[in-house]
Amino acid sequence: MKKILQVVVISCLLTSGLSASIFGEKITPNSANGATIWSDVCMRCHNLREPADLSKRAWKYSMQHMRVRAGLTEQETKDILAFIEESKTQEDGK
Amino acid sequence: MQTELESNAKSGFQLAGYASFDWTDQQGSDNEFSGVKFAPIFHYQYGDIFQFEGELEFTTNNQGETDTELEYAAGTLFLNNYMGLQLGKFMSPVGQFVQNQHPSWINKLPATPVGFGHDGAAPTSFIGAALRGGLPKVVDIRSNYVIFVGNAPTFAEAPDGDVIVDASGKTSSGDASKTWGGRFALNPVGGMEIGVSYAKGKVSETLTATTITGGSAIDDKLQRDYDVAGVDVMYNLNAIDIKAEYIKQKIGDNDKSSLEGGTWRAWYAQASYQFSFLPIEPVLRYSDYHNPEVERNQWAIGLNYLFANNLIAKIAYEYNDNEDNAGDASVNNNRVLTQLAFGF
Repeated sequence: MKKILQVVVISCLLTSGLSASIFGEKITPNSANGATIWSDVCMRCHNLREPADLSKRAWKYSMQHMRVRAGLTEQETKDILAFIEESKTQEDGK
Repeated sequence: MQTELESNAKSGFQLAGYASFDWTDQQGSDNEFSGVKFAPIFHYQYGDIFQFEGELEFTTNNQGETDTELEYAAGTLFLNNYMGLQLGKFMSPVGQFVQNQHPSWINKLPATPVGFGHDGAAPTSFIGAALRGGLPKVVDIRSNYVIFVGNAPTFAEAPDGDVIVDASGKTSSGDASKTWGGRFALNPVGGMEIGVSYAKGKVSETLTATTITGGSAIDDKLQRDYDVAGVDVMYNLNAIDIKAEYIKQKIGDNDKSSLEGGTWRAWYAQASYQFSFLPIEPVLRYSDYHNPEVERNQWAIGLNYLFANNLIAKIAYEYNDNEDNAGDASVNNNRVLTQLAFGF
């Protein structure tokens, strides 16, 4: 009975997740919101990493890692990445 | 052209991580270069839908041998804006120090708070599955969550006679039920997070010649109740950073074993301040750890020099108090610690 309950709970959670799936859906990044979240969320755990610290490519992977670790939505993750990329254009262009 | 093609690639990987080098001068001992740690973190990503992350931790012990540990290795399939399905070995989502503060370039002091290391009061990792992500804002308040199921921790008597809860991820539950749990955190204001965690399941114990009480055979596996609860707070306001966490693991009794259950609990509170005119950061932390055999507390005061935000030299003094002097008496000694830590 317990195992059946576990399977039902997992199935419901996965179904609810997949039914709302946005695979392929375009998210429009908001760099202004990204700047706010960058300063609010990142500094809670660690010293801020400056946009110039990593390449654009490295930031892409780091932000996906932080999406998992900091409990960010996909929209928030892309907002922060947009802010970092804009800042890099002004700072080092890498 | 080549750069553009590479930036448009669907998949790719990155090597990140951290490393640290320690020197310690402890009362009653000679000073020594006491630690070398190298922890590479591998990230692989396929588009926006999947990421694998794995961290290895290499350390050198006092015999000159290299100890290796797979801290975590987990793939996350992003199901939608708000949810990812994580499979594999992941850092314990219960509380925040273990999963977010353990890298040496992030931890503001050279050592962990008492009770928050391996085999302490806080679970370190699980092998299993988790659903996690951020939630839609409600009245402008952000929140995030983790719900997980993992194989059972083990409960055993260590060679030195101490009873330990080994809550690091394993590929077997023994005959014990799995652990279910989660953490929910709110961000009431920018820079603040308040989290609550809970987990419930069983721990697995293998009977030995010294723990068997009759009616069973050596090597028989039995299970005990396992409950974990925690609450944590992080707040960063301008240059002030405050962190605090309380965590408790409770192990039930089982008549078939002579080992007694009990409560493993720990808490810490830490404050630090980053000056604007100098790259230095004083840190003060109190931590307290209790288990059925040990009662420890520690004051730690430190000063960090930030060559960069991810390249930090630390010096700290620990006042250690082991009230019942159980186990290793040297943990009662005060010590000076220095560390150079960097994240990459």
